[in-house]
Amino acid sequence: MKKGHTSQLTKLIILSLFGTISMVLLFLNFPLPFLPPYLKVDFGEVPTLLAALIFSPMAGVIVQLIKNLLYLALSGAADPVGVLANFIAGVTFVVPIAMIYHKYKGQKSLISGLVVGTIVMTIAMGVLNYYVLLPIYSVFMGFEQLTPSVLLSTIFVGVVPFNLIKGAIVSVLFVPLFIKLKPWIQQKQASIKLSA
Amino acid sequence: MASSLIIGQYVPADSVVHRLDPRTKIMMIFTFVIIVFFANNAPSYLWLTVFSLGAATLTKIKPRFLLKGLKPVWFLIVFTFLLHLFVTREGDVLTTLLGFPVYTGALIQGFQISLRFFLLILVTSLLTLTTTPIEITDAIETLLHPLKKIKFPVHELALMMSISLRFIPTLMQETEKISKAQASRGVDFKTGPLKERIQAVVPLLVPLFVSAFKRAEELAMAMEARGYRGGEGRTRLRELAIVSRDYIAFCLFFIVIAGLFVLRG
Repeated sequence: MKKGHTSQLTKLIILSLFGTISMVLLFLNFPLPFLPPYLKVDFGEVPTLLAALIFSPMAGVIVQLIKNLLYLALSGAADPVGVLANFIAGVTFVVPIAMIYHKYKGQKSLISGLVVGTIVMTIAMGVLNYYVLLPIYSVFMGFEQLTPSVLLSTIFVGVVPFNLIKGAIVSVLFVPLFIKLKPWIQQKQASIKLSA
Repeated sequence: MASSLIIGQYVPADSVVHRLDPRTKIMMIFTFVIIVFFANNAPSYLWLTVFSLGAATLTKIKPRFLLKGLKPVWFLIVFTFLLHLFVTREGDVLTTLLGFPVYTGALIQGFQISLRFFLLILVTSLLTLTTTPIEITDAIETLLHPLKKIKFPVHELALMMSISLRFIPTLMQETEKISKAQASRGVDFKTGPLKERIQAVVPLLVPLFVSAFKRAEELAMAMEARGYRGGEGRTRLRELAIVSRDYIAFCLFFIVIAGLFVLRG
């Protein structure tokens, strides 16, 4: 029992440090050409994804939560809606990938997972923006009467391409990273299971 | 950049607002964010402006720092104002600007919405300006305490937050060191096609993740060796306490809320 306790604590600390890395990577972001500047792409989802693949989908959710809470504590609540959106986007992206990967294993399942994750995130963010996020922003800005057509065009011009590109960029980075780290990950998974 | 991240936006000063309990500040600011939407006429906006500027003055933080926090949103505030100026059509035509008619209603509405925006950002930034991230984490832990009843791991979450905060400067330095090391071996982060630029981050991330694992194992070992065994019965280095100045702050804030509902039309 005591041994299991140690590995539990190690896992807890690993997830915290992944949250920190996520936060550090947030500052490596670069705005994409053609898209409005408030939609920024960063590599913050990479540690989240790695945690979800090493441990479980839930671990990914925890890292994403830590990252967003850190961001709130450091930058203040100037844009709580944006932080919430980032959290949900990360979760809808990572959870499908981890579920597919843990079920089938192997590189092919990772790639199909990345495709599915990107699509799920894009759809989820589109729906969420239509019903929740954009209406909240419009109340903030004092435009209470946004018509459905305005909302839809904003989503199809801004939100959908952004999330597709974001998913694609994270995938382009993550596949070679995961191939490089794979032997090491398997070793770590084995050692953590042994001590648990 | 590393040093600015350690403390977030915190500006140390010896003021009443700095000494207030972080829980008091979080609850008051949270309430303010809601009640700001209830202001709907000139007196109520003026009342909230007086309160916000008063609170800002009490922090004894130089206006320069306050304005620095507002920098990223100036554009949004001005943009909102201009948008309302040209789109809203209420009241009489006041004048024409660039061929567009400007209505009095638009001027008033644009001003009110921008002011609301300004007040929201100003007051929420007061929290991070006067409270260290670690204090905010402690406050979140106690405020979330009731969630323990539904088995939400509040203590673990707070522990993870503190560890993450502690390691931000360390990992920041490490990232810098690794990226310099890789650059000296010829990795090019700044030029080339997008795909190559993205993949240039891989040799930066691999050592970062590996060393994070190593650090985690060492830290877990060190904590266990010092007798860490979860949140039950753990004592704290920093104890939060609600004292008389917090009660006074609550009373004053209640007057602000009551005044707002009296003044609004």
